[in-house]
Amino acid sequence: MSSEIKNIPPVAIEKPKFKVWNGARAIAEAVKVADVDVISAYPIRPYTGIMNALASMIANGEFIADVVIADSEHSQFEIVKHASAVGARTFVGSSGVGLAYAAEAIIVTALSQLPVVGAIGTRALDDPGNFGMEWSDVLMFRDYGWLISWAKTVQEAHDMTLVAYRVAEDKRVLLPHFVVLDGAALTHVATPIVPVTKEQATDFLPPYKPPYRIDPIDGPVTKAQHIAPSLIGPEQRKLVDVATKRAKEVIVEAWKDFATYTGREYPPFIEAIGMEDADFALIGMGAYMKDIEIVAKRMREKGVKIGTIRLRYVRPFPAEDLLRVIDGVKAAGVIEFGYSFGSPFGTGSLYHEIATSLYETNTRPELLDFLFLGGREPKVEHFMKAAEMIIESVHKKPQKKAYWLTLRGEDI
Amino acid sequence: MIMQSEFKSLREIPPIDYYTAGRRTCAGCGPAIGYRLISKAAGPNTIFIGPTGCMYVANAHQFLTSPYSVPWHHTQLGGGGAAAIGIASALRTLMLKGKRKPEDINVIVMGGDGAMADIGLSGLSMGLSYDYQRLLYIVYDNEGYMNTGVQASSTTPWGATTTFTPSGKVKPLGNTRYKKNVALIAASHPNVKYVATATLWPPLDLMNKVVRALNSGGPSVIHALFPCPKGWFTSPADTVMLSKLAVETGMWVLWELIEGQFKLNYRPNPRKHVREYLSLQGRFRHLKDEDIDKMDKMIEEEWFYWNESAKQEKLILPY
Repeated sequence: MSSEIKNIPPVAIEKPKFKVWNGARAIAEAVKVADVDVISAYPIRPYTGIMNALASMIANGEFIADVVIADSEHSQFEIVKHASAVGARTFVGSSGVGLAYAAEAIIVTALSQLPVVGAIGTRALDDPGNFGMEWSDVLMFRDYGWLISWAKTVQEAHDMTLVAYRVAEDKRVLLPHFVVLDGAALTHVATPIVPVTKEQATDFLPPYKPPYRIDPIDGPVTKAQHIAPSLIGPEQRKLVDVATKRAKEVIVEAWKDFATYTGREYPPFIEAIGMEDADFALIGMGAYMKDIEIVAKRMREKGVKIGTIRLRYVRPFPAEDLLRVIDGVKAAGVIEFGYSFGSPFGTGSLYHEIATSLYETNTRPELLDFLFLGGREPKVEHFMKAAEMIIESVHKKPQKKAYWLTLRGEDI
Repeated sequence: MIMQSEFKSLREIPPIDYYTAGRRTCAGCGPAIGYRLISKAAGPNTIFIGPTGCMYVANAHQFLTSPYSVPWHHTQLGGGGAAAIGIASALRTLMLKGKRKPEDINVIVMGGDGAMADIGLSGLSMGLSYDYQRLLYIVYDNEGYMNTGVQASSTTPWGATTTFTPSGKVKPLGNTRYKKNVALIAASHPNVKYVATATLWPPLDLMNKVVRALNSGGPSVIHALFPCPKGWFTSPADTVMLSKLAVETGMWVLWELIEGQFKLNYRPNPRKHVREYLSLQGRFRHLKDEDIDKMDKMIEEEWFYWNESAKQEKLILPY
């Protein structure tokens, strides 16, 4: 695929033109330059702003796409799944319980290997109804073959959307892709960004050409026929597994090419800051990493050897890269907004992924979990507290693994 | 592509099949006969969507074969309405943007009563609110969830036994709910161009309704009664005869609504007593004479409205 890429036009990176966009608008603008054909919308906060922006762009003739207003999230994901099977580039998204409602359609999209791209504005699950931010909605779909990338900034959310199409539609992958924005913190916060131009997007993103379209032009293709498990049960699952593994190299390639076209460089899987000589690490994802990085910087100024590790992808999970950057650390803390009730030691979903990865090392750091659940917004002092607790854990073995730092009352 | 015109006689039916061998449907399967006739009528430029149901599970499973010689894609049990919209939207947009050669392509959902009248009703309704052309929803109604072991759906007739509505000592009747009329629900959508009911008999009625639906210029629905030997406890040899008896007893009404204009396709005269239809079916064996008479009376009352609708060429709700 990389052989098809044209050389970078030097003018493209000379004069960046800033736009002040919130996360929702930034994603919509990326969808526009990606020349998406079919979009399916159903409202739920906080992701809805993306669809609002797209609808007004299309109403104003900024680009041609069909916006199908679905009757539910389940229909929404079924619409794009099948549009993708015909050969259309598609866009979809949701939040919170909307994703839960669409669960069946979301799962079959991945297991059918259809490269739909979806945006998630993370939101706490019901009950009770809650506009706050949690990660449990996204992490429900950790296990079914969707690629999941997590943005820290509005700029990154914009760029990630284009890279998502490139990776998802690559013939070595052909898997759907979620681009995750922390609800409110990214979806609703406007910052200046440099948009990807239409020309850059066209060069970076080759047209979507599925190998077997559901279209009479390609002959009688039968897809997702019912099978007896003994026939191709494990083999079909293996195909999806191999695709997620292959996605790793494709992601690295795609971000490298993206930098060539736009001049914006990102480490593909893990953004490690101050980790070269670190004794301590704060690990997390998403928008709050900006605050966490400030905490680490302040502590560095006081002489504490602390760094931050930000995962840009949860699927495929970059375990090897994580082990490389965490090597030599004495104690680390996971900062997360997702939980699994009744889990081992009461720890969160991201903790499990990290702890599993660390099991493979001989020098495991002390690993604590800091949980921010129920949507109450954390403050910088909470992250500061987390940093202090991991430093202390080296001297005094902690009583427990997980701490709810925004909880009022006793953290039992 | 030339649009398929209506078939005037059985001789005009093309010998080619688009729903062929490589399936394991029951002997005398009504939906399988229906699939064959529908796909013949639709022709080669057709995409079929198969929501989960007996026509999904029974059309492959043990074999890595496909009975479809046109493109076919599975969708989830409740996904029929949406999947067809996704396909129709993709085709239209790709053609509009010059990414695909412009062409007439039929999109047909073969959804069972469970997939269309129950779990997928909302999606079907959404589909009917759009204006995509050559989009046809077939509700193939065998009056229950047959491949999961004959459970009641909302189109199971009053008095039928299913594994969810068995006839017992305390509840002797079986199913106490009345059959939902999906065609009437479909007819209440302002954008729907064509709504019809059909069954396996007469075959040309079914096939020509498919042709009319696809040529109607908008989304369309055919609610088709397809007998199920497994779930109705009938002889495989009786499938087509049961279709005929359903029409002749007035139990199943053949009508169509073309851009709002109602047309009754068959008026049983004299109407046979519903006993003739029910007595061939094991699922009604427990019914007492008074139950059967009650059912016949309900049909009689309903027919007043069908006749009135036919007179006025306008649909009147029969309930």
